[in-house]
Amino acid sequence: MNKQSNFSPPWLSLAPAIAIIGLLFGVSVLYGLAQSFGILTGTEQEALNLDAYRNVFAGQGPAGREFWSSFGFSLWIAGISTFVSAIGGFFVAVWLNGRRGRGSRGDTLALNWNLAFPHLVWAIGLLLFFSQSGLLARILASMGIIQTPSQFPVLVRDRLGIGIIVDYISKEIPFLALIVLAVLRSQAENFEVVAENLGASRWQRLRYVTIPQVLPSLLSGSLLVFAFVFSAYEVPALLGVRYPRMLPVLALEFFTNPDLNSRAEGMVISLAITVVVMIIAAISIKFEKKIG
Amino acid sequence: MRKLIALLILSVFALSACTSIVQTQIVSSESFDINNWDSIVAAANGQTVNWYIWGGSESINSFVDNFYGEALKDRYNITLNRVPVADTVDAVNQVLSEKQAGKDPGAVDLIWINGENFATLKQADLLYRDWANKLPNSQYVNWDNPAINRDFGTPVDFQESPWSSAQFQFIYDSARMQPEELPRSYAQLKNWAIKNPGRFTYIAPGPGAFQGTRFVKGALFEISGGADQWATFDQTTWDKWSPELWAYFNEIKPYLWRQGETYPKDENELHSLFANKEVDFSITQAIVGAGALVEQGLVPQTSKAFVFEDYMIGDFNYVGIPSNAPNKAAALVLANLILEPEFQAAQILPENGFGLGFGIDINQVTDTASTTLLADASKKLGDAATSPSDLAKSLVGDSAAQYQSLIEEGWRQYVLLNSK
Amino acid sequence: MKKILNAAIRFFLYLVLIAPLLLFGVYAFSERWFFPDVLPSTWSTAPFLRLFSDPKTVGGLLTSIGIALVVSLFSLIVAFPAARTLGLRRFPGRQFAWLLFFLPTVVPPLAVGMGMNILFLRLDLAGSFVGVILSHLVPTLPYTIFTLSGLFANYDENYEYQAIVLGASKRRTFFNVTLRLVFPGLIVAGLFAFLISWSQYLLTLLIGGGKVLTLPMLLFSAVSGGNPSTIAALSLLFIAPPVLVIALTARQLNQHGNAIKEQY
Repeated sequence: MNKQSNFSPPWLSLAPAIAIIGLLFGVSVLYGLAQSFGILTGTEQEALNLDAYRNVFAGQGPAGREFWSSFGFSLWIAGISTFVSAIGGFFVAVWLNGRRGRGSRGDTLALNWNLAFPHLVWAIGLLLFFSQSGLLARILASMGIIQTPSQFPVLVRDRLGIGIIVDYISKEIPFLALIVLAVLRSQAENFEVVAENLGASRWQRLRYVTIPQVLPSLLSGSLLVFAFVFSAYEVPALLGVRYPRMLPVLALEFFTNPDLNSRAEGMVISLAITVVVMIIAAISIKFEKKIG
Repeated sequence: MRKLIALLILSVFALSACTSIVQTQIVSSESFDINNWDSIVAAANGQTVNWYIWGGSESINSFVDNFYGEALKDRYNITLNRVPVADTVDAVNQVLSEKQAGKDPGAVDLIWINGENFATLKQADLLYRDWANKLPNSQYVNWDNPAINRDFGTPVDFQESPWSSAQFQFIYDSARMQPEELPRSYAQLKNWAIKNPGRFTYIAPGPGAFQGTRFVKGALFEISGGADQWATFDQTTWDKWSPELWAYFNEIKPYLWRQGETYPKDENELHSLFANKEVDFSITQAIVGAGALVEQGLVPQTSKAFVFEDYMIGDFNYVGIPSNAPNKAAALVLANLILEPEFQAAQILPENGFGLGFGIDINQVTDTASTTLLADASKKLGDAATSPSDLAKSLVGDSAAQYQSLIEEGWRQYVLLNSK
Repeated sequence: MKKILNAAIRFFLYLVLIAPLLLFGVYAFSERWFFPDVLPSTWSTAPFLRLFSDPKTVGGLLTSIGIALVVSLFSLIVAFPAARTLGLRRFPGRQFAWLLFFLPTVVPPLAVGMGMNILFLRLDLAGSFVGVILSHLVPTLPYTIFTLSGLFANYDENYEYQAIVLGASKRRTFFNVTLRLVFPGLIVAGLFAFLISWSQYLLTLLIGGGKVLTLPMLLFSAVSGGNPSTIAALSLLFIAPPVLVIALTARQLNQHGNAIKEQY
């Protein structure tokens, strides 16, 4: 029996999905691009220009004044969150992998449980718990460790973005741990055992056996985390301060400003985010191919 | 599989067809004469009015649903669809986007609006014109009062109709402080802040946080020695006084909550800081002072309102109808309903949860039953409110609308981003 | 020593597991609970009663469920043939198809949503359910395709040939063989499409324009309302379905879930 004749040709079965993604996603992105160049805006003064780009990247106006500091702040938040999550995720996974059998299913469940809390809710929880008059501060006050809220350290809505970082770390460590754990569990235990029999120390086993095994997945997973953190809106909107703000918050504020000219500026900022994220994604794919 | 795909494509078409049918139905039911109230009521029968309204306060939400929603249904067979927006600017954007896309009829019938949002829409010519004086209950509105016929200096031109009034006030906790200890001017406030570092902050001025802008304006009035010169726009006056204004805010900055490195972004965040004893003052615009906030459980029960000796800005807020509103008749009926003396009396009572002042002039109400109702309500404002005489003594009008963005941008540039 | 460390790590892990639920639970039943009280001075069911008597909340709940159901069903139906082809076939242009489906997973929803906002205004889809549903397909469809194609990569078509050789009709083969074989994976993929749609804030905001009110929209507006009891009660309502889904799919999750987790 000829396989081809039995089932529809590949492009027909792909057509609905390609049509939906191509139309919704592709045309939306094109529309956004057009807006950033001042066309397809529907206003009377429609003309192809680079004003919005100039205003954002080198402008003296509100967008220009805040863009670069927001850019730096976004890099800082995404960088530190990714770095700590990668290290944390790696060690949690190694720890869990060393404890196969008794209770390990519960531990994996605990990691998955984290998924039940969307970032929005997780951020609200952190806010209620870690703010200067939050539950933790109240507990400390009842133990007499602090007397007034101002004695409690500023952990959320702080200038360094600690609250945002804590949110991402606590959500992304389990995520990366699950990725690393999947790799570790798919490998036979033999490597470790062989290495141990050959007299490798604990550290040597980690350095020469475990890390090379998981590095490709951990790296590409971490880059995904970076891209996500760099472009997400909800958490910095809830846990951030008035200044400095992360780029997505800035982009949405300009986009929803009643002054129609600043909509193009908002679009430019979100395109800048997209470019950074695409570069990261490209590196991530390259990494995976090279090492894996 | 092929059938499945065909089915899918069909269903997408079916869905989009559905939306266009709904759209056309809305258009057909609009025909009335603005000078004939009966024709308006008749046209409104069976309509749904989409009221875009700031949704951040549960008590205001339930006041709107319970009082206006039920009356609209019972008396006029109109369904009230309250659309809560996080910020009125979202509703303005909706209308602007519709204009951009050439969408008529749009989605918005009525917006709770004032100040810069009104100025934006009026300037873009996106508001329904010449209707506010055609409402039967417009007889109770004192259109000769400049505080009513001008909104932040922008002539109202009957493109919006008043709902309620508000005046800037502070809130303190009577369990923490005595009335004698309270600052009564911006100058005294500075001394108080220096003596009590970290115990005061204000809302960051900016789009959507007019209370913060209003606090800064009050300081501008006091520093420049009068509110009247700010009623019309003059660049040289601004250039003369603004450096002193920023100097004042930079002087108190190190003594603010978290040394002024950040500020609460809206009234509710400030209430929460105040309730949790992070700071000692909050602010409100309500005629009942802290009353409605106590009812909602947002601030301690011992909270009370107070005012400075002078420069407490008061104004009116309004409802406006976009020119592409799909249900204008129902919007007109609702705008008229909120001016009814019975609802005006209900809105100021603290237990009803709205808590802003009258939009009408009670001296223009002649019918005795209504006058008694309004007078009774005025007596029941509760002890969390500022006394009417103190409010009246300190009342000043808002500045011209042009100062709004100058203050917001200037504050951002010279105070917030100033790292000295 | 090692034992204590292990116990400590595990304790911490489980604390993180339970703490948010406890936190929201306590706040949701409190009233006027201010610093420095460690526990609320008055307990009350009022926040919950308020929530359920508010037609906006009930409406938001129904809207959220409705949109997420349609989105996940639609994603499954469209993704199924695509995933099968991608998982089982090697054909020219396969890389291109992968790339096309991969792009929406990396381009931020913010950028997509802003462009779509203008596009949908022109198409008259902004502020409508159809518009919001279509916008949610952009993040859900690629993830559904990837999960299902992973499933088909390990799928043995010979079962289908056997059924056909034995005289079963195409339809019967599809329902009795194909569907039955991939059913568990299908359910997991559907549930995650549901969750991605359920927790979507930005796209609903940009496309719904405040007219389509899902629970995340209400939650954001409650946060700006500043009443912690209301925020906590609404949060509990919001996480109930995800908690149920995770509990029900805990086992399958270990096998299929990885690709979807980031987005969610």
